[in-house]
Amino acid sequence: MYINRALLLVIGIVIIFFPAIESWMLGSQAAWYRPYLPWLLIIVAAYWNQRTRRPDEL
Amino acid sequence: MSYSLAQILLFIIVYLTGLFTVAYLADRGIIPERVTRHPATYVLSLGVFAGAMASNGVIELAHRYGYNFLLYYLGVVFMFVMATLLLLPLLRLCRVYQLASLADVLTFRFRSPRVGSVITIAMCITLLPLLALQIQAVADSIHILAGETSEKHRHDGLALLFCIIITVFSILFGTRHVSSRYRNTGLVTAMAFESLLKLAALMVVLLAAAYQVFGSFGELEQWLLQNPGVSQVLQQPVRGDTARALLLVFFAGAVCMPHIFHMTFAENTDSQSLRSATWGLPLYLLLLSLPVLPVTWAGLKLGHDLPMEYSGLAIGLALNSTTVSVAAFVAGLSAASATIIVTTLALSNMCLNHLVLPSKLLQIDRGKRIYNQLKWSRRSLIGILIMAGYIFFVILADKQSLTQLALVAFAGTAQFLPGLIATPYWPGANRRGLLAGLTGGLAIWFFSMLLPLTIDYHPRLLSALYDTLFGTGDNMWAAATMVSLTLNTGLFMVVSVLTRAGEDEKVAAEICSMDDLAHPTRQTLSLHSADEFSQYLGPALGVKTAQSEVQRALGELQFAADESRPYALRRLRARIEANLSGLLGPAVAHSIIERCIPFQPGTHGDIDDIHLIERNLDRARFQFTGLAADLDNLRRHHRETLDNLPIGVCSISADGELLMWNRSMAQITGIEPRDVLGALLDSMPQPWRQIIDKFQQGDTNTILKTEVITEPGASRWISLHKASTDESTTSSSDNTVILVEDITDFELLEEELLHNERLASIGRLAAGVAHEIGNPVTGIACLAQNLEYETEPDEVRYMAQDILKQTERVTRIVESLVNFSHAGSTSGAIRLTPCNLADCVDEAIHLLTLDREARPVQFSNHCDRELLVLADNQRLLQVFVNLLGNARDACDDYGQVHIMATTNGKQVTIEVEDNGCGIAPELQSRVFEPFYTTKDPGEGTGLGLALVFSIMSDMDGSVHFISPIAEGAHPGTRATLQLPHTSYGPEFEV
Repeated sequence: MYINRALLLVIGIVIIFFPAIESWMLGSQAAWYRPYLPWLLIIVAAYWNQRTRRPDEL
Repeated sequence: MSYSLAQILLFIIVYLTGLFTVAYLADRGIIPERVTRHPATYVLSLGVFAGAMASNGVIELAHRYGYNFLLYYLGVVFMFVMATLLLLPLLRLCRVYQLASLADVLTFRFRSPRVGSVITIAMCITLLPLLALQIQAVADSIHILAGETSEKHRHDGLALLFCIIITVFSILFGTRHVSSRYRNTGLVTAMAFESLLKLAALMVVLLAAAYQVFGSFGELEQWLLQNPGVSQVLQQPVRGDTARALLLVFFAGAVCMPHIFHMTFAENTDSQSLRSATWGLPLYLLLLSLPVLPVTWAGLKLGHDLPMEYSGLAIGLALNSTTVSVAAFVAGLSAASATIIVTTLALSNMCLNHLVLPSKLLQIDRGKRIYNQLKWSRRSLIGILIMAGYIFFVILADKQSLTQLALVAFAGTAQFLPGLIATPYWPGANRRGLLAGLTGGLAIWFFSMLLPLTIDYHPRLLSALYDTLFGTGDNMWAAATMVSLTLNTGLFMVVSVLTRAGEDEKVAAEICSMDDLAHPTRQTLSLHSADEFSQYLGPALGVKTAQSEVQRALGELQFAADESRPYALRRLRARIEANLSGLLGPAVAHSIIERCIPFQPGTHGDIDDIHLIERNLDRARFQFTGLAADLDNLRRHHRETLDNLPIGVCSISADGELLMWNRSMAQITGIEPRDVLGALLDSMPQPWRQIIDKFQQGDTNTILKTEVITEPGASRWISLHKASTDESTTSSSDNTVILVEDITDFELLEEELLHNERLASIGRLAAGVAHEIGNPVTGIACLAQNLEYETEPDEVRYMAQDILKQTERVTRIVESLVNFSHAGSTSGAIRLTPCNLADCVDEAIHLLTLDREARPVQFSNHCDRELLVLADNQRLLQVFVNLLGNARDACDDYGQVHIMATTNGKQVTIEVEDNGCGIAPELQSRVFEPFYTTKDPGEGTGLGLALVFSIMSDMDGSVHFISPIAEGAHPGTRATLQLPHTSYGPEFEV
């Protein structure tokens, strides 16, 4: 199987911590752009993941 | 502030012309390739996902559901971040098999034209709301900018005008290349440009909202604090099932929506670009979503009376700012036009490949090239599709919001997700299951969503069911989505498990499967050359098209025009099918190939295609991790070892296909691996074909030495060994492995040693020869002296006769020596002829008796004077000289050497017995070793018996020793030689 094991690990962690992340994002005193921060983190992680991959032929 | 309709329409035409100019410049290469081929261009082109829903619809979504509008983006973000799960496997399939649409993929996977037709029709229906959404967004925007509020008929007319304009541009954009195998650089660049423009326009609206409506971002925050109701809406939790359904349909939309599929797979073949999109597209969508909340709040603050989706335009109008109004309009226009262009282009491809061509609605003129016919068909389909979208828009009569339309369209296309997921992950799925699932899911979708959208219909029964299951109340959409997808998936699985898949479906499932166990199998083609491909494809495609497709496939595979290797022809067939799939769709392409270039019946994939397996493994090597990587490294190590072996190795399958040909084999034969691998043994050049074929067919597993004449005057000697692979231990059939060793150098060295040994013998004989010649010469001298004084004629005559006798004796001695010295010269090949054994033994004895310094042993030749053996006379003489010489050296002064011969009719057995000292038992195994001797230094070279052995082997004979043969002080030795018996037949001229 070609599924990235690191990706599966990240998905698992996100599922486990989703309630905590959600309550942090939607806190009453939170800035309106707070939900964008985890999104940005996902982008950084995705960038890092593809950067460390070797070129291949699929 | 308002604008005239003429101004707005002119603006639209100018905008689309500008867009077309970008595409034209990119196609012409005026925009440099480093820009058009840059991964960023590809990533931006994927922004086509963000249609009018992203520029307008999400504002309403944010207004109603707060942060939950982000789910629209996050579905796509998750799909691309997890690209390795679905997008990369699909990209592999689309690239290799030239699949350009979702219908192509599913038709290829389930090997059914019916699947393609059903999916195309379903896709056209599910996308009608999406097309209507884009038309509605632009038409409403024009309507708002024109300051019109009530004239409904004029609104529809605007929409029609927009549809006509966009149809022209869609045709101009989309049908430049007839086949999906070409990247439409202009389209990709134009879509990337639109995405940038869309982002820039929304940013302008964001800045206007923040700084002109609120004053600053700080004041925006203050406003939020002063309006807790807005914050409350922002943070309100959406029902779990609704959120999940939203996330699911947008997740599915990222791959099932035909326009996104087209840009992701059909316009890109580079995995690196897709990898860039895994972070690039989420980043783009993040930036695109940033203005949504501030613009929504600005709309709320302004309290405009327009629908919430058009808050951007409302801000521009309220601020009386042309820049902001134009920016808001451009955002919507670019989003809608990009979606319409790419969606209709993708749908037209699907309709052509899965509806028009299979149903033979389009009569292809086989005398001409079909490319133009296809292009015009596609253009017509684009027009028809946009008009269908317009008619749906008219039917809707502006009753639905943009969000409602988008949700219905996304829920409809999500029904294709189970089939797409099954493509790489479930080889057990079959077409019956897929069609059953789609029928169930789409039926629910149709009655729960599409019908209520268009006509005044409320599905009471379904609504009651949803209420029972979910307690949905008014929100039927989420329940209908989940129920339709569940039913779809359930039927798909159950029917697939209960029914059997066809053979071709199983093969396709293996090809698509991500399972490492998938293995290509080898089938035998009925055709034998690339030329025949053109010939046989001619009736289906037209002669010119067939030739051009075959030439193209040959060029892509870098095969020669006269290619005839079965492996190469199998790949050529697959490549032509893939190319035709890009042109005509997988169903038609598969049908044409199956009909015109069939495999031979009864060869249905029971033999592994070793070459293809190796090629696939080589290409996939970077993907392997852990145990798979170790196994692949091991495979490569063994392959390298075999390739670098100093012995030639070739492997031949039971049907005569060459599976292996290592470097040594190439050096020995002068035939490169690329010329023979995958070819039949019959197509190999002579003389190797005959040698290998004969050896493979023969009973013997070893040929120690055989001569190969590669060209006149140049010969090589090789030894051959073979073994058969055990069928029970390999998955392949009964293969033969042949080892070929080049022993030419060894042979030449042996010849040289033979010559040296002969020279040594001549040297040893030289003294005896001189003495032997001296006697008759002395006699001649005496006779000549007497002759000077002799007067009697009779005496003179007698003396002359004596002199002649003496000279004859000298001549015979010299002849013997010359004869021996010429024996087996290095250039001479063995010539087996009948030889008189007794005469040969006599000659050897005579030569040995010339050596006066040797022991005066007695030689007795008991051989039958009529006995003939099949041998090379001169080499046989060398054998006897060496054997008798050794026998003499083993004897003392009174030694006796007997030579006897017997025959059983087929073989002649010659025994050379002496009463010498014999051979010690521990030395008997070494007597044939080169350079091994028991004689004193200078007396023997150690090559005599080695050469005897070599010569006897060359003459198909044998030699062995027995010692002792008697008791006592003179145990003696018996050398036994065996040679084929022969007679003077008609084939020998004596």
